[in-house]
Amino acid sequence: MVAREKLNLLKGKFGAAVQRADMPCDERLFVFVEASALKAVCQYLFRDLDARYVISIGMDDRPFSGHFLVAHDFAFDREHLLCSVLTHVPADNPKVDSITDVVPAANWAEREIYDLIGIEPVGHRYLKRLVLPDGWPDGVHPLRKDFAWNQVPEGFDDTKEFKFDEPPEGCTVVPFGPFHPTLDEPTHFRLYIEGEMVRGCEYRGFMVHRGIEKLAESVLTYNEIPMMAERICGICGCVHNVAYAQAVESAAAIKPPPRAEYIRTIMLEIERLHSHLLWVGLACHIVGFDTMFMQSWRIREPIMWIAEKISGNRKTYALCVIGGVRWDITPEVKDELRGVLDKLEAEWRPVVAAVSKDKNIQKRTRGVGVADRNLVKNAGLVGPVARASGADIDCRRDHPYAAYDRLDFKVIVESGCDVWSRVLVRANEVFESIKIIRQCLEKMEDGPLHLSLKDELPVGRFGLSSVEAPRGESHHFVITGENNRPRRWRVRAPTYQNLQGIPAMIKDQQFADMTISLGSIDPCFSCTDRLETIDLRSGVAKVWTQEELIKLTRAKKA
Amino acid sequence: MHRNIIWMILIGLANVVIVLLVAPFFQGVLRKITALIQSRQGPPVWQPYFDLLKLLGKEDIESGESPLMQRFAVYLSLATVLTIACLVPMGCAAPMNAVGDVILLIYLLTLCGICTLLAGLAAGSTYSLLGISREMMTMIALEPLFAIALVVGAVHTHSFRLDTVLNGSVYASAAFPWSGVIMLAVMLLSFQAFVQRVPFDISEAETELMEGPLMEYSGPKLALFKYAQMAKLVIYSALFVTLFVPWGSSLVFPLGWLVFWAKVTGLVLFVTLVAATHARYRIDQAIRYFAGLLVLALVALVLASYGY
Repeated sequence: MVAREKLNLLKGKFGAAVQRADMPCDERLFVFVEASALKAVCQYLFRDLDARYVISIGMDDRPFSGHFLVAHDFAFDREHLLCSVLTHVPADNPKVDSITDVVPAANWAEREIYDLIGIEPVGHRYLKRLVLPDGWPDGVHPLRKDFAWNQVPEGFDDTKEFKFDEPPEGCTVVPFGPFHPTLDEPTHFRLYIEGEMVRGCEYRGFMVHRGIEKLAESVLTYNEIPMMAERICGICGCVHNVAYAQAVESAAAIKPPPRAEYIRTIMLEIERLHSHLLWVGLACHIVGFDTMFMQSWRIREPIMWIAEKISGNRKTYALCVIGGVRWDITPEVKDELRGVLDKLEAEWRPVVAAVSKDKNIQKRTRGVGVADRNLVKNAGLVGPVARASGADIDCRRDHPYAAYDRLDFKVIVESGCDVWSRVLVRANEVFESIKIIRQCLEKMEDGPLHLSLKDELPVGRFGLSSVEAPRGESHHFVITGENNRPRRWRVRAPTYQNLQGIPAMIKDQQFADMTISLGSIDPCFSCTDRLETIDLRSGVAKVWTQEELIKLTRAKKA
Repeated sequence: MHRNIIWMILIGLANVVIVLLVAPFFQGVLRKITALIQSRQGPPVWQPYFDLLKLLGKEDIESGESPLMQRFAVYLSLATVLTIACLVPMGCAAPMNAVGDVILLIYLLTLCGICTLLAGLAAGSTYSLLGISREMMTMIALEPLFAIALVVGAVHTHSFRLDTVLNGSVYASAAFPWSGVIMLAVMLLSFQAFVQRVPFDISEAETELMEGPLMEYSGPKLALFKYAQMAKLVIYSALFVTLFVPWGSSLVFPLGWLVFWAKVTGLVLFVTLVAATHARYRIDQAIRYFAGLLVLALVALVLASYGY
């Protein structure tokens, strides 16, 4: 109903510009619109209908339809609807109206489409390189279908440096990263500092872009991709694993057996438990409170052990296949898991009680890294960051997947908009996760772990899936394809949106608050570029290039 | 007279040796207790000795903007700390009499901070410069506190002579010693900052400034800096005990001496506990905190001069 309602609204407003629509179920809507109406439609959805912007996807559809394809995904959270607005872009003139003016959250996604597919967002005010490496030649777009996955473009210049913008007057430049004690992965912020105050910054990330999407649509197969998807993130990998499987299942209209859904839910919540406990520890470490860091990680450890018992790994569970899961939860593990949860709850409760009364931590986190409702909307912030700013969104409830529609849990919302509220949200979500796993163990029915799929998956179908990762909504977009692999698979990790909110969060506050503000979104950035060796005898310095290092690491020791 | 001078020099040297010997031990105690609070096993209490030896045996790398100043800063730092060690009683009477006044001690304590500034300048990177600007702000707010504490002592003993002040008592007054009690509170509340531990390790702040002024140090030079920091913990504790917790130190030799070191250990445990249970303050929050203490200290000074 909801999907049809929205479609009628669009048809009423834009008439013939709405070309065709697809409603595989009531929670999904795919609308094809004319390219000229794209911006207006997005504005209408985002501003008038108050949809939440999710992500934009570009695709080289030339071998199939003769066009490029651009899709903007929106979510109606209260109405449980995920909606994708698609348009065809002519192959000989790959240009499309930019929507960043009206939907600021689309900034990175449009730059990425320009980098990787070469579809130009006309009217984008800041079309600077985002994803591709500095030495990559202009006009070469690796996600196009005529570009091989292992091709090195002609004119790749290893020595080329990134050109940063001019800093504002009166500010000194402080480089933050790519290597810094509080950054676990390489990324670079160029901070403009005046005294101790941050006045602005420029971001240069994607230093370890691994081209996973390209591999998926050119080398891997449907059931190999979940293993690769899991390696997108070292902390919330299972989320990507499940989200991908669900996106393909939703495209192919497959429903996994109920037991598999419960097991997926349990593993996702185990992952959330370990991730939140890890985060609370790290956040405390950032503000210098190492005792809480150690205690939090001690409390977390049994979660890692039980995950190992279930999947064989502390992390990277390799859980999903299309149409089911690979691991069972045996009665023996079930009992042990209950014990682990009881102990965790008993240990975590006093910690939360102590932390929530601690004035000292509040001093460092209250009023710091503020993201107001406006920023949440415009930058498309998700997860604990959005919930700490009063935005009541949680994909587990809003876009139920796996077994969440059969479970009872609370969505924790705070209204402080600052780092302190994010601490409270995460600390309290731990209890909800414990509750969810207990219910799953109670309700889980016997049955098969996965379907036996005999037929090929249908070709050219669209699938969307949003999974609530510990850091926020992880959104996957899939178009099924030939040769047992998808034509296009687009992953949007929660940090992709949350990171775009960082410049506004750190502006005009102290440099000392920078690390905890960045830490508060629980950023997920992975990596050696080059290093220097000096020959002691001759004193000659030699800079190793990336290429030489890669050769060195791949060379077999004799 | 000559015998007297030789005796003074010997006691001063003995103090230096004692400080050098026990400083890593106290650091080890601090680390062990911290580990226990954090549910860890922690390194053996002797670990800091091995750490220092290991660092001392490493290659001496010259780095940063001006390597010469870098070397000078660390030598000066250790030398200053050890000079203070000569002047502060370590469980016996003040070692040097009639050789200086409290102003000398105040200067030497400030010089410790200046060494950190020099170290940061020598590194010359953005992060170390941020570190020294924080260090400078902290010094400006903090040094007057110790100065006032010593002057309060001087007022009570009617003398600026170092040994008289240190052997006297801030509680020596006819009425209730208000000034002494206030200064005790002020010094206790700011003690973490003097020994540069959490929540006031702001100028080094590993997770923000990557050790700030110390970032370019490695090998033997880092060892010496670390040694100076460890010694600082012992010396400041000794100074604090001498000035504010003098009770029991005047007992006959082995007893008074043992009581003194027990009190120093107690103070180190206090530092450990506070460091393990607090988050780091931001520089503006710290300065506001110090400013409050400074006002209190000034009140104490006024009270002292009226004989309270």
